[in-house]
Amino acid sequence: MNSQKILSVIWRGFPNTLTLLIWSFIFATILGLALTWLDLRKNRFARGIATVYLNLVRGTPPLLMLLMAYYGLPVLLKAIGIDIDHWTRMTFGVLGLTLGWSGYLSEAFRSAYLSVDRGQIEAARSVGMPDRTTFWQIIIPQAAMIALPNIENLVVGLVKATSLVYVIGLYDLYNQASNLSNQTAGLHQLQIFVLLALTYWLLVLVIEALFRLIRRRYRQMI
Amino acid sequence: MLLEVKDLQKQFNGHQVLDGVDLQIHQGEVLVIIGPSGSGKTTLLRNLNFLEHADSGTMHFADQTIDLGKPSKQQVQWVRRHTAMVFQNYNLFKNKTAQQNIAEGLIYGHGVDAKTANQKAAQALKNLGLYDRRHYFPTQLSGGQQQRIGIARATVLKPEVVLFDEPTSALDPELVGTVLKDMQRLAENGQTMVVVTHQMWFARNVASRVAFFADGQIQEIGKPADIFDHPQKQRTKQFLNALADNY
Ligand SMILES: Nc1ncnc2c1ncn2[C@@H]1O[C@H](COP(=O)(O)OP(=O)(O)OP(=O)(O)O)[C@@H](O)[C@H]1O
Ligand SMILES: [Mg+2]
Repeated sequence: MNSQKILSVIWRGFPNTLTLLIWSFIFATILGLALTWLDLRKNRFARGIATVYLNLVRGTPPLLMLLMAYYGLPVLLKAIGIDIDHWTRMTFGVLGLTLGWSGYLSEAFRSAYLSVDRGQIEAARSVGMPDRTTFWQIIIPQAAMIALPNIENLVVGLVKATSLVYVIGLYDLYNQASNLSNQTAGLHQLQIFVLLALTYWLLVLVIEALFRLIRRRYRQMI
Repeated sequence: MLLEVKDLQKQFNGHQVLDGVDLQIHQGEVLVIIGPSGSGKTTLLRNLNFLEHADSGTMHFADQTIDLGKPSKQQVQWVRRHTAMVFQNYNLFKNKTAQQNIAEGLIYGHGVDAKTANQKAAQALKNLGLYDRRHYFPTQLSGGQQQRIGIARATVLKPEVVLFDEPTSALDPELVGTVLKDMQRLAENGQTMVVVTHQMWFARNVASRVAFFADGQIQEIGKPADIFDHPQKQRTKQFLNALADNY
Protein backbone atom coordinates (compact mmCIF):
# COMPACT_ATOMS: atom_id res chain seq x y z
CA MET A 1 0.00 0.00 0.00
CA ASN A 2 1.47 3.37 -0.89
CA SER A 3 1.80 6.32 1.41
CA GLN A 4 -0.70 8.41 -0.48
CA LYS A 5 -3.40 5.85 0.03
CA ILE A 6 -2.60 5.54 3.72
CA LEU A 7 -2.69 9.29 4.16
CA SER A 8 -6.00 9.60 2.41
CA VAL A 9 -7.49 7.16 4.91
CA ILE A 10 -5.85 8.75 7.96
CA TRP A 11 -6.88 12.24 6.89
CA ARG A 12 -10.50 11.27 6.87
CA GLY A 13 -10.12 11.68 10.63
CA PHE A 14 -8.79 15.18 10.31
CA PRO A 15 -12.14 17.04 10.49
CA ASN A 16 -12.92 15.27 13.76
CA THR A 17 -9.52 16.00 15.23
CA LEU A 18 -9.81 19.66 14.27
CA THR A 19 -13.38 19.95 15.56
CA LEU A 20 -12.34 18.42 18.88
CA LEU A 21 -9.35 20.70 19.13
CA ILE A 22 -11.14 23.93 18.34
CA TRP A 23 -14.30 23.43 20.37
CA SER A 24 -12.50 21.94 23.36
CA PHE A 25 -10.15 24.90 23.36
CA ILE A 26 -12.97 27.42 23.14
CA PHE A 27 -15.06 25.84 25.87
CA ALA A 28 -12.05 25.10 28.07
CA THR A 29 -11.02 28.76 27.79
CA ILE A 30 -14.47 29.97 28.82
CA LEU A 31 -14.75 27.49 31.68
CA GLY A 32 -11.12 28.12 32.64
CA LEU A 33 -11.73 31.86 32.89
CA ALA A 34 -14.78 31.24 35.03
CA LEU A 35 -12.74 28.97 37.31
CA THR A 36 -10.00 31.57 37.60
CA TRP A 37 -12.59 34.17 38.44
CA LEU A 38 -14.01 31.93 41.18
CA ASP A 39 -10.55 31.07 42.43
CA LEU A 40 -9.63 34.72 42.89
CA ARG A 41 -12.79 35.62 44.84
CA LYS A 42 -12.51 36.59 48.48
CA ASN A 43 -15.56 34.42 49.05
CA ARG A 44 -14.44 31.16 50.65
CA PHE A 45 -17.20 29.10 49.11
CA ALA A 46 -16.43 30.29 45.57
CA ARG A 47 -12.76 29.57 46.03
CA GLY A 48 -13.62 26.18 47.51
CA ILE A 49 -15.52 25.13 44.39
CA ALA A 50 -12.62 26.12 42.16
CA THR A 51 -10.07 24.38 44.38
CA VAL A 52 -11.99 21.10 44.49
CA TYR A 53 -12.49 21.13 40.73
CA LEU A 54 -8.84 21.94 40.03
CA ASN A 55 -7.62 19.21 42.36
CA LEU A 56 -9.93 16.62 40.83
CA VAL A 57 -8.81 17.54 37.34
CA ARG A 58 -5.15 17.54 38.27
CA GLY A 59 -5.39 14.02 39.61
CA THR A 60 -7.38 12.46 36.76
CA PRO A 61 -5.89 11.09 33.51
CA PRO A 62 -7.49 12.69 30.43
CA LEU A 63 -8.50 9.27 29.15
CA LEU A 64 -10.55 8.72 32.27
CA MET A 65 -12.19 12.11 31.91
CA LEU A 66 -13.34 11.17 28.42
CA LEU A 67 -14.77 7.89 29.71
CA MET A 68 -16.51 9.62 32.59
CA ALA A 69 -17.99 12.23 30.29
CA TYR A 70 -19.24 9.57 27.92
CA TYR A 71 -20.50 6.93 30.36
CA GLY A 72 -20.86 8.87 33.59
CA LEU A 73 -22.47 12.14 32.63
CA PRO A 74 -25.66 10.67 31.04
CA VAL A 75 -26.25 8.57 34.16
CA LEU A 76 -25.60 11.50 36.45
CA LEU A 77 -27.88 13.85 34.52
CA LYS A 78 -30.60 11.28 34.13
CA ALA A 79 -30.77 11.14 37.91
CA ILE A 80 -31.87 14.76 37.90
CA GLY A 81 -34.18 14.26 34.93
CA ILE A 82 -32.02 15.46 32.06
CA ASP A 83 -31.73 13.09 29.12
CA ILE A 84 -28.56 13.46 27.05
CA ASP A 85 -28.43 9.97 25.56
CA HIS A 86 -29.00 11.38 22.09
CA TRP A 87 -25.97 13.66 22.23
CA THR A 88 -23.34 12.80 19.63
CA ARG A 89 -20.02 11.20 20.47
CA MET A 90 -18.39 14.38 19.32
CA THR A 91 -20.23 16.35 21.99
CA PHE A 92 -19.00 13.97 24.65
CA GLY A 93 -15.50 14.08 23.24
CA VAL A 94 -15.45 17.85 23.41
CA LEU A 95 -16.91 17.71 26.91
CA GLY A 96 -14.35 15.22 28.15
CA LEU A 97 -11.42 17.23 26.88
CA THR A 98 -12.96 20.47 28.13
CA LEU A 99 -13.09 19.05 31.65
CA GLY A 100 -9.35 18.62 31.81
CA TRP A 101 -8.13 21.57 29.81
CA SER A 102 -10.37 24.07 31.57
CA GLY A 103 -8.48 23.14 34.72
CA TYR A 104 -5.04 23.38 33.16
CA LEU A 105 -5.86 26.65 31.40
CA SER A 106 -7.32 28.07 34.57
CA GLU A 107 -4.03 27.53 36.37
CA ALA A 108 -2.18 29.26 33.55
CA PHE A 109 -4.59 32.20 33.67
CA ARG A 110 -4.40 32.44 37.43
CA SER A 111 -0.63 32.45 37.66
CA ALA A 112 -0.40 34.99 34.82
CA TYR A 113 -2.93 37.24 36.52
CA LEU A 114 -1.03 37.08 39.77
CA SER A 115 2.29 37.82 38.14
CA VAL A 116 1.20 41.12 36.63
CA ASP A 117 3.46 43.66 38.31
CA ARG A 118 1.74 45.39 41.26
CA GLY A 119 3.41 48.60 40.19
CA GLN A 120 1.28 48.63 37.04
CA ILE A 121 -1.90 48.61 39.08
CA GLU A 122 -0.58 51.29 41.41
CA ALA A 123 0.38 53.48 38.47
CA ALA A 124 -3.13 53.13 37.09
CA ARG A 125 -4.63 54.07 40.43
CA SER A 126 -2.28 57.01 40.78
CA VAL A 127 -3.62 58.57 37.57
CA GLY A 128 -7.17 58.09 38.81
CA MET A 129 -8.07 55.12 36.65
CA PRO A 130 -11.04 53.25 38.14
CA ASP A 131 -10.31 49.63 39.11
CA ARG A 132 -12.61 48.20 36.46
CA THR A 133 -10.82 50.12 33.71
CA THR A 134 -7.47 49.11 35.13
CA PHE A 135 -8.57 45.51 34.94
CA TRP A 136 -9.52 45.63 31.26
CA GLN A 137 -6.91 48.10 30.03
CA ILE A 138 -3.85 47.06 32.00
CA ILE A 139 -4.16 43.77 33.86
CA ILE A 140 -5.91 41.57 31.30
CA PRO A 141 -3.71 42.48 28.30
CA GLN A 142 -0.55 41.98 30.33
CA ALA A 143 -1.76 38.75 31.89
CA ALA A 144 -2.61 37.47 28.42
CA MET A 145 0.94 38.15 27.26
CA ILE A 146 2.38 36.43 30.29
CA ALA A 147 0.09 33.41 29.88
CA LEU A 148 0.78 32.97 26.18
CA PRO A 149 3.69 30.46 26.33
CA ASN A 150 1.76 28.29 28.79
CA ILE A 151 -1.35 28.44 26.65
CA GLU A 152 0.68 27.38 23.65
CA ASN A 153 2.02 24.35 25.51
CA LEU A 154 -1.47 23.42 26.62
CA VAL A 155 -2.83 23.63 23.08
CA VAL A 156 -0.05 21.39 21.84
CA GLY A 157 -0.91 18.98 24.66
CA LEU A 158 -4.55 19.16 23.64
CA VAL A 159 -3.67 18.17 20.07
CA LYS A 160 -2.11 15.00 21.38
CA ALA A 161 -4.96 14.36 23.79
CA THR A 162 -7.51 14.42 20.96
CA SER A 163 -6.08 11.04 19.98
CA LEU A 164 -7.65 9.53 23.10
CA VAL A 165 -11.19 9.81 21.78
CA TYR A 166 -10.93 6.33 20.29
CA VAL A 167 -12.09 5.13 23.73
CA ILE A 168 -15.52 6.58 23.04
CA GLY A 169 -15.56 5.36 19.45
CA LEU A 170 -14.81 8.61 17.65
CA TYR A 171 -12.88 8.41 14.41
CA ASP A 172 -10.13 11.01 14.56
CA LEU A 173 -6.66 10.86 12.93
CA TYR A 174 -5.40 8.30 15.40
CA ASN A 175 -8.42 6.04 15.30
CA GLN A 176 -8.41 6.05 11.48
CA ALA A 177 -4.77 5.02 11.48
CA SER A 178 -5.23 2.38 14.10
CA ASN A 179 -8.23 1.02 12.28
CA LEU A 180 -6.37 0.87 8.99
CA SER A 181 -3.52 -0.93 10.66
CA ASN A 182 -5.89 -3.55 12.06
CA GLN A 183 -7.65 -4.01 8.73
CA THR A 184 -4.35 -4.74 7.01
CA ALA A 185 -3.43 -7.18 9.78
CA GLY A 186 -0.58 -4.97 10.96
CA LEU A 187 1.27 -5.46 7.68
CA HIS A 188 1.87 -1.71 7.15
CA GLN A 189 1.82 -0.78 10.81
CA LEU A 190 5.13 1.07 10.97
CA GLN A 191 4.48 2.98 7.78
CA ILE A 192 1.02 3.98 8.97
CA PHE A 193 2.19 5.21 12.32
CA VAL A 194 5.11 7.15 10.90
CA LEU A 195 2.70 8.92 8.55
CA LEU A 196 0.34 9.56 11.46
CA ALA A 197 3.19 11.01 13.52
CA LEU A 198 4.12 13.30 10.61
CA THR A 199 0.53 14.47 10.40
CA TYR A 200 0.42 15.43 14.09
CA TRP A 201 3.81 17.04 13.79
CA LEU A 202 2.57 19.19 10.92
CA LEU A 203 -0.50 20.23 12.87
CA VAL A 204 1.66 21.25 15.82
CA LEU A 205 3.95 23.20 13.51
CA VAL A 206 0.99 25.18 12.23
CA ILE A 207 -0.14 25.93 15.78
CA GLU A 208 3.33 27.02 16.80
CA ALA A 209 3.49 29.30 13.80
CA LEU A 210 0.19 30.90 14.82
CA PHE A 211 1.45 31.56 18.32
CA ARG A 212 4.69 32.92 16.93
CA LEU A 213 2.68 35.42 14.92
CA ILE A 214 0.83 36.60 18.01
CA ARG A 215 4.05 36.81 20.00
CA ARG A 216 5.77 38.80 17.31
CA ARG A 217 2.87 41.22 17.11
CA TYR A 218 3.01 41.98 20.85
CA ARG A 219 6.67 41.26 21.50
CA GLN A 220 7.61 44.72 22.77
CA MET A 221 4.98 44.74 25.46
CA ILE A 222 6.49 42.53 28.09
CA MET B 1 -2.04 75.85 52.62
CA LEU B 2 -2.87 73.27 50.00
CA LEU B 3 -2.63 69.98 51.82
CA GLU B 4 -2.17 69.05 55.44
CA VAL B 5 -1.98 65.70 57.20
CA LYS B 6 -2.24 65.39 60.95
CA ASP B 7 -1.21 62.57 63.22
CA LEU B 8 -0.78 60.04 60.42
CA GLN B 9 -0.27 56.55 61.81
CA LYS B 10 0.68 53.43 59.89
CA GLN B 11 2.07 50.15 61.05
CA PHE B 12 3.10 46.98 59.24
CA ASN B 13 2.80 43.81 61.30
CA GLY B 14 3.14 45.68 64.58
CA HIS B 15 6.03 47.79 63.31
CA GLN B 16 5.09 51.46 63.59
CA VAL B 17 6.45 52.98 60.39
CA LEU B 18 4.58 56.28 60.50
CA ASP B 19 4.23 57.41 64.09
CA GLY B 20 2.04 60.47 64.06
CA VAL B 21 3.33 62.39 61.06
CA ASP B 22 2.27 66.05 60.78
CA LEU B 23 2.94 67.60 57.42
CA GLN B 24 1.88 70.74 55.61
CA ILE B 25 2.30 71.28 51.91
CA HIS B 26 2.04 74.82 50.60
CA GLN B 27 0.73 75.85 47.23
CA GLY B 28 3.52 76.00 44.66
CA GLU B 29 6.30 74.75 46.88
CA VAL B 30 8.84 72.00 46.32
CA LEU B 31 9.04 69.99 49.50
CA VAL B 32 11.96 67.59 49.55
CA ILE B 33 11.93 64.73 52.03
CA ILE B 34 15.22 63.16 53.02
CA GLY B 35 15.92 60.45 55.54
CA PRO B 36 17.54 57.09 56.19
CA SER B 37 16.73 54.07 54.05
CA GLY B 38 13.83 52.04 55.38
CA SER B 39 12.57 54.88 57.56
CA GLY B 40 9.19 55.11 55.83
CA LYS B 41 9.49 57.89 53.24
CA THR B 42 7.90 55.80 50.50
CA THR B 43 5.19 54.71 52.88
CA LEU B 44 4.46 58.33 53.73
CA LEU B 45 4.02 59.27 50.07
CA ARG B 46 1.88 56.22 49.37
CA ASN B 47 -0.42 57.12 52.21
CA LEU B 48 -1.02 60.53 50.68
CA ASN B 49 -2.71 59.07 47.59
CA PHE B 50 -4.07 55.89 49.21
CA LEU B 51 -1.83 53.38 47.50
CA GLU B 52 -1.42 52.40 51.12
CA HIS B 53 -4.16 52.92 53.68
CA ALA B 54 -3.27 54.61 56.95
CA ASP B 55 -4.41 53.27 60.29
CA SER B 56 -5.49 56.73 61.38
CA GLY B 57 -4.96 60.41 60.75
CA THR B 58 -6.64 63.38 59.12
CA MET B 59 -6.10 65.01 55.76
CA HIS B 60 -7.17 68.50 54.79
CA PHE B 61 -6.87 68.88 51.05
CA ALA B 62 -8.34 71.88 49.24
CA ASP B 63 -11.78 72.14 50.86
CA GLN B 64 -12.01 68.48 51.87
CA THR B 65 -11.42 66.91 55.25
CA ILE B 66 -10.71 63.20 55.11
CA ASP B 67 -10.45 60.67 57.90
CA LEU B 68 -7.42 58.71 56.73
CA GLY B 69 -8.44 55.71 58.82
CA LYS B 70 -11.63 55.24 56.85
CA PRO B 71 -11.81 57.32 53.70
CA SER B 72 -14.83 56.82 51.46
CA LYS B 73 -14.40 55.45 47.96
CA GLN B 74 -15.31 58.87 46.57
CA GLN B 75 -12.66 60.54 48.69
CA VAL B 76 -10.01 58.09 47.56
CA GLN B 77 -10.91 58.72 43.93
CA TRP B 78 -11.04 62.46 44.51
CA VAL B 79 -7.58 62.56 46.05
CA ARG B 80 -6.16 60.37 43.31
CA ARG B 81 -7.60 62.66 40.67
CA HIS B 82 -6.02 65.70 42.30
CA THR B 83 -2.61 64.19 42.90
CA ALA B 84 -0.24 62.21 40.73
CA MET B 85 2.78 60.08 41.43
CA VAL B 86 6.15 59.46 39.86
CA PHE B 87 7.59 56.09 40.76
CA GLN B 88 11.12 54.94 41.42
CA ASN B 89 10.76 52.20 38.79
CA TYR B 90 8.75 54.43 36.41
CA ASN B 91 5.90 51.91 36.23
CA LEU B 92 4.94 52.96 32.73
CA PHE B 93 2.12 50.77 31.45
CA LYS B 94 3.99 48.02 29.63
CA ASN B 95 1.22 47.33 27.14
CA LYS B 96 0.85 50.98 26.12
CA THR B 97 2.94 53.21 23.90
CA ALA B 98 4.64 56.36 25.15
CA GLN B 99 1.77 58.50 23.94
CA GLN B 100 -0.89 56.18 25.34
CA ASN B 101 0.88 56.17 28.69
CA ILE B 102 0.41 59.90 28.94
CA ALA B 103 -3.10 59.95 27.47
CA GLU B 104 -4.72 57.10 29.43
CA GLY B 105 -4.90 58.92 32.75
CA LEU B 106 -6.64 61.84 31.06
CA ILE B 107 -9.08 59.55 29.30
CA TYR B 108 -9.93 57.03 32.00
CA GLY B 109 -9.12 59.00 35.14
CA HIS B 110 -10.28 62.47 34.17
CA GLY B 111 -12.92 61.88 31.53
CA VAL B 112 -11.13 63.79 28.79
CA ASP B 113 -12.14 62.70 25.29
CA ALA B 114 -9.61 60.52 23.50
CA LYS B 115 -8.80 63.02 20.76
CA THR B 116 -7.99 65.88 23.14
CA ALA B 117 -6.09 63.53 25.43
CA ASN B 118 -3.93 62.28 22.58
CA GLN B 119 -3.24 65.83 21.41
CA LYS B 120 -2.13 66.77 24.91
CA ALA B 121 0.01 63.66 25.15
CA ALA B 122 1.60 64.39 21.78
CA GLN B 123 2.30 67.96 22.85
CA ALA B 124 3.87 66.75 26.09
CA LEU B 125 6.13 64.44 24.11
CA LYS B 126 7.10 67.31 21.80
CA ASN B 127 8.04 69.40 24.82
CA LEU B 128 10.31 66.58 25.97
CA GLY B 129 11.81 66.14 22.51
CA LEU B 130 10.48 62.59 22.49
CA TYR B 131 7.76 63.01 19.89
CA ASP B 132 9.51 60.63 17.49
CA ARG B 133 9.22 57.93 20.15
CA ARG B 134 5.49 58.33 20.64
CA HIS B 135 4.70 54.83 19.34
CA TYR B 136 7.45 53.12 21.31
CA PHE B 137 6.64 50.76 24.13
CA PRO B 138 8.37 51.20 27.50
CA THR B 139 10.80 48.34 26.88
CA GLN B 140 12.03 50.21 23.80
CA LEU B 141 12.88 53.33 25.80
CA SER B 142 15.84 54.08 28.04
CA GLY B 143 15.31 54.43 31.78
CA GLY B 144 15.74 58.18 31.54
CA GLN B 145 13.20 58.43 28.72
CA GLN B 146 10.78 56.24 30.64
CA GLN B 147 11.03 58.39 33.72
CA ARG B 148 10.60 61.63 31.80
CA ILE B 149 7.47 60.15 30.26
CA GLY B 150 6.44 59.03 33.75
CA ILE B 151 6.71 62.64 34.85
CA ALA B 152 4.72 63.79 31.82
CA ARG B 153 2.06 61.18 32.57
CA ALA B 154 1.71 62.68 36.04
CA THR B 155 1.85 66.37 35.16
CA VAL B 156 -0.41 66.25 32.11
CA LEU B 157 -3.23 65.67 34.59
CA LYS B 158 -2.60 69.12 36.09
CA PRO B 159 -2.61 67.69 39.60
CA GLU B 160 -2.54 69.93 42.67
CA VAL B 161 0.43 67.95 43.96
CA VAL B 162 2.88 65.61 42.28
CA LEU B 163 4.49 63.01 44.54
CA PHE B 164 7.96 61.85 43.49
CA ASP B 165 9.42 58.74 45.09
CA GLU B 166 13.15 58.66 44.40
CA PRO B 167 12.57 59.41 40.72
CA THR B 168 16.24 59.16 39.75
CA SER B 169 17.58 56.40 41.95
CA ALA B 170 17.04 53.63 39.40
CA LEU B 171 18.78 55.59 36.66
CA ASP B 172 22.31 55.39 35.32
CA PRO B 173 24.26 58.42 36.57
CA GLU B 174 24.46 60.06 33.16
CA LEU B 175 20.66 60.01 32.83
CA VAL B 176 19.92 61.56 36.23
CA GLY B 177 20.57 65.09 35.00
CA THR B 178 17.91 65.12 32.29
CA VAL B 179 15.24 63.96 34.70
CA LEU B 180 16.23 66.47 37.36
CA LYS B 181 16.11 69.22 34.74
CA ASP B 182 12.54 68.30 33.87
CA MET B 183 11.69 68.47 37.56
CA GLN B 184 13.40 71.80 37.96
CA ARG B 185 11.42 73.22 35.05
CA LEU B 186 8.22 71.98 36.64
CA ALA B 187 9.15 73.66 39.89
CA GLU B 188 9.80 76.93 38.09
CA ASN B 189 6.35 76.70 36.57
CA GLY B 190 4.85 76.65 40.04
CA GLN B 191 3.91 72.97 40.25
CA THR B 192 3.50 71.86 43.85
CA MET B 193 5.79 68.89 44.40
CA VAL B 194 6.74 66.53 47.18
CA VAL B 195 10.01 64.83 46.35
CA VAL B 196 11.67 61.98 48.20
CA THR B 197 15.25 61.92 47.00
CA HIS B 198 18.86 61.31 47.87
CA GLN B 199 19.95 63.93 45.32
CA MET B 200 21.30 66.55 47.66
CA TRP B 201 22.02 68.91 44.79
CA PHE B 202 18.30 68.99 44.05
CA ALA B 203 17.38 69.37 47.72
CA ARG B 204 19.75 72.29 48.19
CA ASN B 205 19.04 74.15 44.96
CA VAL B 206 15.47 73.44 43.96
CA ALA B 207 13.63 72.72 47.21
CA SER B 208 11.54 75.40 48.88
CA ARG B 209 11.74 73.40 52.09
CA VAL B 210 13.54 70.27 53.17
CA ALA B 211 12.09 67.82 55.67
CA PHE B 212 14.21 65.29 57.50
CA PHE B 213 12.21 62.17 58.19
CA ALA B 214 13.28 59.49 60.65
CA ASP B 215 11.85 57.25 63.37
CA GLY B 216 8.34 57.56 62.02
CA GLN B 217 8.18 61.35 62.15
CA ILE B 218 9.29 64.54 60.48
CA GLN B 219 12.23 65.43 62.70
CA GLU B 220 13.02 68.79 61.28
CA ILE B 221 11.74 70.94 58.44
CA GLY B 222 12.93 74.24 57.02
CA LYS B 223 14.71 76.12 54.28
CA PRO B 224 17.42 74.04 52.58
CA ALA B 225 20.20 76.22 53.89
CA ASP B 226 18.91 75.96 57.45
CA ILE B 227 18.60 72.20 57.35
CA PHE B 228 21.90 71.57 55.63
CA ASP B 229 24.04 74.23 57.32
CA HIS B 230 22.39 74.64 60.70
CA PRO B 231 20.55 71.45 61.59
CA GLN B 232 18.97 71.74 65.03
CA LYS B 233 18.65 68.11 66.02
CA GLN B 234 21.38 65.61 66.74
CA ARG B 235 19.58 63.03 64.60
CA THR B 236 19.66 65.32 61.57
CA LYS B 237 23.36 66.11 62.07
CA GLN B 238 24.20 62.42 62.25
CA PHE B 239 22.35 61.74 59.04
CA LEU B 240 23.95 64.63 57.17
CA ASN B 241 27.41 63.71 58.43
CA ALA B 242 26.94 60.13 57.31
CA LEU B 243 25.90 61.42 53.90
CA ALA B 244 28.95 63.65 53.68
CA ASP B 245 31.15 60.67 54.52
CA ASN B 246 29.61 58.68 51.72
CA TYR B 247 29.96 61.25 49.00
N1 LIG C 1 3.76 46.46 52.31
C1 LIG C 1 4.59 46.37 53.37
N2 LIG C 1 4.45 45.35 54.24
C2 LIG C 1 5.25 45.25 55.32
N3 LIG C 1 6.21 46.11 55.63
C3 LIG C 1 6.41 47.15 54.81
C4 LIG C 1 5.60 47.33 53.64
N4 LIG C 1 6.02 48.46 53.01
C5 LIG C 1 7.04 48.93 53.75
N5 LIG C 1 7.27 48.18 54.83
C6 LIG C 1 8.27 48.42 55.87
O1 LIG C 1 8.15 49.75 56.29
C7 LIG C 1 9.40 50.34 56.50
C8 LIG C 1 9.52 51.60 55.69
O2 LIG C 1 9.59 51.28 54.32
P1 LIG C 1 9.69 52.39 53.19
O3 LIG C 1 9.76 51.71 51.91
O4 LIG C 1 8.58 53.37 53.38
O5 LIG C 1 11.07 53.11 53.55
P2 LIG C 1 11.86 54.21 52.74
O6 LIG C 1 12.15 55.30 53.69
O7 LIG C 1 11.12 54.58 51.52
O8 LIG C 1 13.21 53.47 52.38
P3 LIG C 1 14.16 53.65 51.08
O9 LIG C 1 14.93 54.94 51.28
O10 LIG C 1 15.06 52.46 51.14
O11 LIG C 1 13.29 53.67 49.89
C9 LIG C 1 10.44 49.29 56.16
O12 LIG C 1 10.87 48.70 57.34
C10 LIG C 1 9.69 48.31 55.33
O13 LIG C 1 10.21 47.03 55.50
MG1 LIG D 1 11.52 54.34 49.44
